[in-house]
Amino acid sequence: MNVARKLCVIHHSYVSRNLYRKFRFSSTDYESAPSSQPQVRDEKFDFEDLNVLERVERRKEKINPFMKDIFISIFNRDLLAYPEILNKEETEALEQRINTIRNVFIDPKKTAEDRKNVLINTKMFAAPVSLTRNGLAANVTESLRYLEAIASDFQLGQDLSDHWLGLQALSHGLTEEQYSMIIDDLIKGDKTIALVIKERIAERISQADFRTTAEMDGQGIWRINGEKVCRSAGGYILVLCAVEASRLKAFLVHPGVEGVKTDGPFVTFFKTPATPLDLISETTLAQILGVSRLHAASLSRCRLAAAVNSVVEYTRPRAFSGKPLAELSNIQSTMGNALLDIYACESAEYFAAGLLDGYQSPDAELEVAMCRNFISNHGLSSMMQLLSIPALDKEEECKRLLDDMRHLAARGETLDSVNTFIALNGLHHAGVVMANEVKQIRNPLMHPAFIVKKVLANRHQERDEPRLTLHLAEHLHPSLRQPAEQLEYCVLRMRYACETLMARHGVKVDTAYTELNRLAEAATEIFVMTSVLARASRSYCIGLRNAEVEMKLAACFVERTRDRVKKLIKEIDDGEYLNLDHFTVQLGKKVLDTNTLLVEKPTARVFW
Amino acid sequence: MATKILSNILKTRPYNMMLKRWESSEKRVTVHDPFYSMPKKDKKNYLKVIKMFEVRDTRRRGHVEFIYAALARMKEFGVQKDLEVYKALVDVLPKGKFIPSNIFQSEFMHYPKQQQCAVDLLEQMEDNKVMPDTEMEQMLLNVFGTRGIPLRKYWRMMYWMPKFRNLSPWHLPDELPNDTLELARLAIERITSVDPDRKIELWQTEEIEASLDKTWIISAQSESQKILLSEQPADEPLVVRGPFNVYLRDQVVTYFMLLGKTRPELKDDTDDDDVSNIPKPLGIPGLVGKTTLPAVRQTVHEQDDGTIISLCATGTSSRDSLLSWIRLLEKHGNPLLSTLPVIFTLTAPPNDLSIAETQPAIPEEESRAQ
Repeated sequence: MNVARKLCVIHHSYVSRNLYRKFRFSSTDYESAPSSQPQVRDEKFDFEDLNVLERVERRKEKINPFMKDIFISIFNRDLLAYPEILNKEETEALEQRINTIRNVFIDPKKTAEDRKNVLINTKMFAAPVSLTRNGLAANVTESLRYLEAIASDFQLGQDLSDHWLGLQALSHGLTEEQYSMIIDDLIKGDKTIALVIKERIAERISQADFRTTAEMDGQGIWRINGEKVCRSAGGYILVLCAVEASRLKAFLVHPGVEGVKTDGPFVTFFKTPATPLDLISETTLAQILGVSRLHAASLSRCRLAAAVNSVVEYTRPRAFSGKPLAELSNIQSTMGNALLDIYACESAEYFAAGLLDGYQSPDAELEVAMCRNFISNHGLSSMMQLLSIPALDKEEECKRLLDDMRHLAARGETLDSVNTFIALNGLHHAGVVMANEVKQIRNPLMHPAFIVKKVLANRHQERDEPRLTLHLAEHLHPSLRQPAEQLEYCVLRMRYACETLMARHGVKVDTAYTELNRLAEAATEIFVMTSVLARASRSYCIGLRNAEVEMKLAACFVERTRDRVKKLIKEIDDGEYLNLDHFTVQLGKKVLDTNTLLVEKPTARVFW
Repeated sequence: MATKILSNILKTRPYNMMLKRWESSEKRVTVHDPFYSMPKKDKKNYLKVIKMFEVRDTRRRGHVEFIYAALARMKEFGVQKDLEVYKALVDVLPKGKFIPSNIFQSEFMHYPKQQQCAVDLLEQMEDNKVMPDTEMEQMLLNVFGTRGIPLRKYWRMMYWMPKFRNLSPWHLPDELPNDTLELARLAIERITSVDPDRKIELWQTEEIEASLDKTWIISAQSESQKILLSEQPADEPLVVRGPFNVYLRDQVVTYFMLLGKTRPELKDDTDDDDVSNIPKPLGIPGLVGKTTLPAVRQTVHEQDDGTIISLCATGTSSRDSLLSWIRLLEKHGNPLLSTLPVIFTLTAPPNDLSIAETQPAIPEEESRAQ
C-alpha cells in the first residue's frame, strides 16, 4: 500500500480545494457580477403568451427523405443509429401512464366503462393536444406506445387512432377561435372524431372515383353531399370532400346535425352542414392523415402478438405422443417466424416514428406507408399459420383474431393502393434525378457513346453482383457485418430496378401496376431490414436485456428478406414475359370477362 | 371349290346393286339405285341400304363403287355429319384381305383403289368436320393394317382435328339450332361479347302499338352504352346502319347497328421519355382516383365511325321492325331516344335477307286461318 502516495493525494486535493475556494471567493464581487449569483426573480406570468409552457421539441436539422433516396441507392448512414426521441423525464412519465392504462386493460374483470375512464384520466383523448389546452402534446413515438397499451381493445384502439389524427388535423385547419370552441368537448372522451375518406368504387362509367362534394349555400354554410365508407359514425366526423371540381378539403361534421344517415359500413350525407378546415393544405393533410398507416401497422402487430399469446396458452398445457406439445419443432418454428415479423414491424414503426419526431419538417410518408405495407403483407399469412395450431379447438377466438387482422389489413385502403403510393413516390423522386439518363437510354441511337458507357457501368448489376460501395457495416456493430452487406446489396440494386422500370415504361410507368407492386415490396423490405439492423445494433451496443436474441433475430430476418428482395428485383429486371405477368394478366382478363374458370374438367374428352 | 365360287357369282349377279344389267326383254341399260328408291331420306334408311349391300353379297363385290356412291348421297340423306354412318361405310370393306403381308406389298400400296376409297371417305369426314374415334381406327386397322395409307390419313386427322375443333373463341353448340330466333341470339351474343356486361333481350314488336310487322327483336345493350347514349348531343342524329351479315358456321344472320357520335380522342402530348415529373398520388389513405372524369373516348363502344349504342336482329329485318326496335329501346331505359332524330341508312332492300322466314309472333295456324 502506497501510503505516501495516498496521503499526498489527500493533501493535494485538500489543498487544491482550499485554493480554489479562496480563489473563487477572492474573485467574487457581489456588486460587480450580479449575473453569476442566483437570481431571485419575481414570477411574472404572461397570460397572453403561454408558449413558454409548451413542450420543447428537440428536432435535428432537416435531412433528405430517407427511403426516397434509397430508390436511387443513396443511403443516409447516420440513420443506422436508431433514433432516440424521448429523454429520461419523458420516458418515465410515459411509462407511468402506460402502466396505469395497461393495468386496467389486461384485467379481464374491468368493464368497458373502466377502460374509458382510465383513458380519460390519463388524458388519452387529448394526447396530441398541446399542454396549454390540457393535453399531453404527445409525439408520434409516444402515441405508438399508448396505442400498443390500448390495442387489446380492438375497437377502442381504432377509434383513438382516428381521434388523434382528427385532433391534429383540426389544430392545423381551424382558426384559433374555432379550435378553442370545440376542443373541450373533443377531449372529454364522449365523442371521438371518425375519419371518413374512402368511398365506394364507382358503379357506372359516368361516375367519378371521388364523388362527395361540398358547396356553400346562400347563407354561407358549407353543405356536404355524398356517400362514404365509415367504421363508426357516432361522434364528430372528419369528411374529405371535393370542392370546385378538383380541389380537396376536409370538413368537420358535428354530432347530431341533420342529413347524416348511417347504413351498415356506409354513411350518407345529404346537405349536411359542416365546418371547413380552411387553413390546412392538401399536402399537410396528407402528412397528418398518413400517420394512420403507422397506427394501423401498430394495431396489426398487436393483434399478431395477441395471437402469439393465445397460441402459447393453448400449446403449453397440451401434449403429443407423451411429450409436451411445445416441443414440436414445427410449432416452435411457427412461433419463431411470428416473432420475426413482430420484431421487424416494431422496429420499422419506431424507426418511422423517430424520423417523424426527430427532424425538422420531416418527409417520412413513405416510411410510414411501408410499415403498413409490411405488416399487411406478412401479418395475415403469419396469423393464419399461428392459428392453424389451435385450429378447431379455439374456433371463436381464432375467428375473431383473424377477422380483426383482415379488417386491419384493409383498414381505410387496400394494400394495392399503398403499394402504388410507395412505388410512385419513389419513382417520382428517382425520376427527377435520373431523367436525363433515362431519356438517353430510351433513345439509344441518339446517344451511342452514353450507351457504351452505360453497358460498362451496369455490367456488375447485369450479373446481379453490384459493387458494395456504401460501407454500411462500418456504422453497425462489427458482428452484423454480413447482414449489413446483404442490406447494402439490396440498396444498391434499387437504383438499377428504378432505371429498368423507367427505361421500359417511360412516364407511363404509373400504370404498370404489377411492376410497381414489386418495387414497393422490395423497398418496404429494405426499409424494414434497415430498421431491424439499426435496432439490434443499438440494443447490443447499449447492452439491453436479451440483446443477443435481437442480434440473431436481425441476422435471420435480413438473411431471409434479402432473398425476397433479390427475387423481386430480378423479376423486375426480367420483364413481363419471364416473370409471367403477361400471362397472368391475360388469364385474369379472360376470367373477369367470362366469369368461368376457362378450362374444361379433366374428365372431358374431344373424341372417343 | 371353283364350282361353289361360280355358283355364288351366278346367284348374286341378278341382285347386285349399282351395276348395269341387261334387262332380258327390252335389252336396255337401266340403273338400279337403292338410295334413289328409298321413300324417306333419313339416317335409318341410309343405314338400311348399307345393310342391304352387306347382306346380299357375302363377297361384297363392287364395294368401292358402292362407297363412292354412298358418299355422294350423304347430303341428300342429311347424314354427312354423322360418325356412325361413316363407320358403317368403313365396315363395308372386307376385313383382313387388304393387309399387306410383306414389305413389297406395303411399299407399293397394296390394293390402291380400296385404299384411295377409304382415304376419300376420311377426307369427306374431315370436310364435314366429323371427328373419327378410336373404334374407327380399329376398323381401319382390321381392313388395311398398320401400314395402310388410310391409317396414316386417320392419324394425321386425329392430330389436327382436335386442335382445330375448339380453336374459335366463340363457342357454338355442336348442332346449330334450326330456329332463327335462337340463331339470331347466338349471333348477337357473339358480336357483343366484346363487352361482357351487355344484356341481350328478346322483345316482341306487339309492345309497340303502331308497329306493322309483328315479329321478334333480339337487342343487345350494356349499361355503359345506355350512358353513352344519354350523353349524346341533342342536335346530332343517331344512325341505324345495316344490314350486316354474320356467319355462324354455314348459317348467316343479319344484324343492324344504332350509331351515335363519338367523343374526341385523347390527345396525349406528353413526352414518354421525360420521367422528370412522374405523376404521384397525394397520399391521403383511402383517397384513390380522381374527382373528375375525362371527356374523351374511353370505352370499347366508341369506334372511329361512331359510338355503337345498340345492336339488333329482327325477325323480318324490315324497316318497320327496326322502327319498333328504336321505340322499344326508348321504352327500356333510353328515354333520350324520344327526342333524338334517328336516320335509317339501310344499304340493301330488306326483302332478300336470310332470316325473313319466321314470324313466331303470329302462330302458323292463326295465319292460315286468316
